[in-house]
Amino acid sequence: MMNRSKMLCRVWLCGAATWLATAVPASAFLAYVSNEKSNTVSVIDTDSWTVTATIKVGQRPRGIELTRDGKSVLVAVGDDDTIQIIDVASQKVVDSLPSGPDPELFTQDAAGKVLYVANENDNTVTVIDLEKRVRMGDVQVGVEPEGMAISPDGKILINTSETTNMAHFIDTATRQIVANVLVDARPRFAEFKRDGSELWVSSEIGGTVSVIDPAKRVVTDKIEFNIPGLRREAIQPVGIGMTRDAKIAFIALGPANRIAVVDAATHKVIKYLLVGQRVWHMAFTPDEKYLLVTNGVSNDVSVIDVAAQKVIKTIQVGELPWGIAMARP
Amino acid sequence: MNRPIGVITALVLIWSGTAQAADPRYPDWPCVQAKVPEISLAAVWAGPPIDDVASAWKDDVEVGALVERLATRRVPVEEAQKAITDFLSRSPDKARSGKLIFAGLFDSLNAQRATVLAGLERVTRKQREAADRVRADTAALQALQSASPPDQARIDELNNKLLWEARIFDDRRRVVTFVCEVPTLIDQRLFALSRTIQQEME
Repeated sequence: MMNRSKMLCRVWLCGAATWLATAVPASAFLAYVSNEKSNTVSVIDTDSWTVTATIKVGQRPRGIELTRDGKSVLVAVGDDDTIQIIDVASQKVVDSLPSGPDPELFTQDAAGKVLYVANENDNTVTVIDLEKRVRMGDVQVGVEPEGMAISPDGKILINTSETTNMAHFIDTATRQIVANVLVDARPRFAEFKRDGSELWVSSEIGGTVSVIDPAKRVVTDKIEFNIPGLRREAIQPVGIGMTRDAKIAFIALGPANRIAVVDAATHKVIKYLLVGQRVWHMAFTPDEKYLLVTNGVSNDVSVIDVAAQKVIKTIQVGELPWGIAMARP
Repeated sequence: MNRPIGVITALVLIWSGTAQAADPRYPDWPCVQAKVPEISLAAVWAGPPIDDVASAWKDDVEVGALVERLATRRVPVEEAQKAITDFLSRSPDKARSGKLIFAGLFDSLNAQRATVLAGLERVTRKQREAADRVRADTAALQALQSASPPDQARIDELNNKLLWEARIFDDRRRVVTFVCEVPTLIDQRLFALSRTIQQEME
């Protein structure tokens, strides 16, 4: 009898322990940060805000994204001319995809079946079948393609070219360029509002974010940034993050070491948050409570409380953190 | 004996030929990293204005001593951050102390940086002179070698001189590559420490 109750007790305890173990990190997500100079990906647990793993990847990792099924993280390793696949479960590189030379940023279609990759070195966008992991074709675009975004209805792919200073509108069905919109110098990143009503494109040298009407394909507004005491050339907009309700946007301003918080409806800057040195890209936690941004020169990630619009934490990662993707463990 | 010298002097001459500054505004700047003459206040500070404490930090003995320690690159950043936290937690007027420490750090590290920048540019000028010397001595050596009969004693002497000149040149070049990283290290330190101060002041 004694033994049995002891055993039951153990079973119960064991069950409780399992329950605790699974219950505690339920709110935690995993952020994957590509470190361009250390050739690694740092994994941050958003519950403890610590780096829990460092994954060795190929040379010069930059663009990084979670696949739609949540099982893999894709990372473009430019100097190895490929995109590596990290398995979220084992946190190991398990395979690679056939991109063109020097892939930098990429985007997936809504179903997660097709991947579009901007290859900085050969002025093309490569189209890859994600299931078969084979190349389906290429689209010729402007010089030094960089930013990539797909319209919410999946019909239009946007690619920005650094040297041509254009946002190319590509029909995903025919893979032909159907329109070009001129923006300010060195466009870096493109982001749609979830309802498809606006497309935002950041220009690193121009120092602006162009707001484009995707239906008319014209620039309708320009967001400018003014930080007293900083020279204009120190303000270099790159990464853009927008909440799902399209109320608030965050824009990384590079060597201005700040994130601009923007009212996404009026396009007015609400405030600037000092984060780390050379702030570059960002990702929200899936619940949109936090926004994590990469700081390339201070080698860290800043955590912003989205509702409070405040920086609450800094986490050291590898050298030259560049991109960031969020996964569920 | 002649060949290694030939190789080294060739390297020296290639260096002096290619070491054109990337930024025409700073012809003596030897680094691949862009020259940023000074750190602007707004790039590292989003706290309250510090004009009112501009040089007051020097008059505060305690702050002065702390700033000196924080600005020493030998002291690890984590240790410096802890020293700031400790100091501010003991301070009766956190806001003012924080501003004082920052003003001190901003002055000290910017000054440290300016010294490094000036040193790097001075070395460039020295290297240019050294390259000119190597060029002249190489020509003299070639003249001596083609003379008949060759004056072996003088050839050996000049050879030896060239060898030393090339070695010094090469050592300096290596040091420059290393020192070029220092301004960024100072930027990183100033940013990390001022961020700690601002967090403590909030």
